[in-house]
Amino acid sequence: MRMLEGRTNAWAGLEDVEALRERARKIRQRTISDLDRYLAEFTAAVEARGAKVRFARTAEEANAYIVDTCRRAGAELVAKSKSMASEEIRVNEALQAAGIRAVECDLGEYILQLANEHPIHIILPAIEKTAADVAELFSVVEGEPVSPQLEELAAAARRQLRKVFFSADVGLTGANFGVAQTGSICLVTNEGNGGLVTSLPKVHIALLGMERLVPTLDDLAVLLQLLPRSATGQKLTSYTRIISGPRREGESDGPEELHIVILDNGRSNLRGGRYEEMLSCIRCGACLNVCPVYRKAGGGAYGPVYSGPMAAVLVPLLVGLERAPALPHASSLCGACTAACPVKIPLHELLLELRKDLVEERVASARERLGFTLWSLAWSRPFLYRLSTSLARLAAPLAGRLGPGLVWTRGRDLPAFARRRFRDLP
Amino acid sequence: MADAELLLEEAGYEVGFPPEQVCCGQPAFNAGHRRAARRVARTFTRAFSRDWPIVCPSGSCSTMAAHYLPELLGVEPFEVWELSAFLAQAGATPSVRNDGCTLAYHDSCHMLRELGIADEPRGLLERSGAQLAPLPRPDLCCGFGGTFSIRQPEISVAMADDKLNGVSNADALVTADPGCLMHLRGRAARHGGPRVLHVATALARGVRP
Repeated sequence: MRMLEGRTNAWAGLEDVEALRERARKIRQRTISDLDRYLAEFTAAVEARGAKVRFARTAEEANAYIVDTCRRAGAELVAKSKSMASEEIRVNEALQAAGIRAVECDLGEYILQLANEHPIHIILPAIEKTAADVAELFSVVEGEPVSPQLEELAAAARRQLRKVFFSADVGLTGANFGVAQTGSICLVTNEGNGGLVTSLPKVHIALLGMERLVPTLDDLAVLLQLLPRSATGQKLTSYTRIISGPRREGESDGPEELHIVILDNGRSNLRGGRYEEMLSCIRCGACLNVCPVYRKAGGGAYGPVYSGPMAAVLVPLLVGLERAPALPHASSLCGACTAACPVKIPLHELLLELRKDLVEERVASARERLGFTLWSLAWSRPFLYRLSTSLARLAAPLAGRLGPGLVWTRGRDLPAFARRRFRDLP
Repeated sequence: MADAELLLEEAGYEVGFPPEQVCCGQPAFNAGHRRAARRVARTFTRAFSRDWPIVCPSGSCSTMAAHYLPELLGVEPFEVWELSAFLAQAGATPSVRNDGCTLAYHDSCHMLRELGIADEPRGLLERSGAQLAPLPRPDLCCGFGGTFSIRQPEISVAMADDKLNGVSNADALVTADPGCLMHLRGRAARHGGPRVLHVATALARGVRP
């Protein structure tokens, strides 16, 4: 609820929200429909600034490149800033397997890493943890009890993470956007870790979803008006960092090397088809914050990485419907997500499309398909339709004991029938 | 249905009930079963003449018939009205049957977000003499969602509880969608909660405080 109120207040400062959303939608759509061109433009601009670009088709390719880059830097410790793409490819596990320690430096992610858990919200990863939970986790690291007061916890986190910032050989981050025109990446954060991770270690690796480009800095400015408002209800986050290349001659800080890993990992599946709009997603979390199902089910219910309505649409498209057949049904189709999406992705309509695919690709069970076929054969004939509603009255005492009725009546009573059907009234 | 008929007649309309009509196909459509939905929807369209507007006492059925069905079948859109929107545009003045009643109104999702109907049912209830009680987040889904209510029964019921628990100091919770009505009423009957009524019933019969 707090997220919702914050969100409402932040929008109040904008003159014409609808016009802004429409502009943002068009920017994203233009980028996605001409993505190859913008990727080429981005790559050339990045390289002209002395940074390296690697296009990774799969999670394995991305991980291999990241591990290899860390090895060449002689890295034993990698400091990480929050990145959902890195959760998606499970880079921490890949680094660990290579004997390299990765430490999450975003506070929420750090807490989850200590607890050995995955984020349940794409913006607020540890939203369910209480101060007492965190104190317990920090006490283990400190080797002595840490009080659950917020100031104490912040001090402990700072103490623990500072060591990581200063001794890490590689900084690993995500990127909210890549700007094709300038070869810049943009990082939107609320904690200082993003700045430390991208400037202190001698190598910075940024992981960028291939669809997260915008053509120009002006376009970026439009999206930056929407992203924080949609995500955390802020007009602007504490830090908005635009990084264009590694440290140049004469500059006093910044990494010696900058590597940008552009990640496909299933995103190409969405291109050109009716799901292409989903590539417009800017991972703001607005759809999670407004979703009544997410509020009840929690983020873990959607799988280990993404959550909420955006996950219900995106994950089946990335990994295949047969591997995520329940997700398109993890929605009451209320449409609150579509209404909240800052780039106007029709999320609930895409869920309807995915449900159609579940049936047509026979991922839905044969029993379900047969059930709907029989239902439609009966209800497409007025006589049988009328007969079935008569029979339903007779069978009412049984209805709560069979199939869907049994599930329904676990928490609810069945509807009572009117004494006579409307159509039978004189 | 009889309540809806009464309201339309009071507003001066002649009401016909095509006996050959069947379901609009929405349950199958929302579950992804397009062939099944098409089969039923085709019969639905055959039952109605295009000379008369179709008035439907359900936000979600109206949405299906108005928005999705023409595309599903590749037919010209029908003139479909949700009941309260029809009465409101007709300038209908409902009889004062709810004097002294306090009612909370729940927006059903499709009616609110697809059809943009929110003020009409509230206005009719007020003109029938009722006072509207504030309901926290009236736009938040009640958790029915068609097959969702069977696929995710625990979440579905938890959402209903949120909605029902939000009702305070009201004689009844009123909605304009039979799906929400069946779900919320079923939950209230099982677990305790306010009376839940269709807007047509509240207007045609009055809610006794």
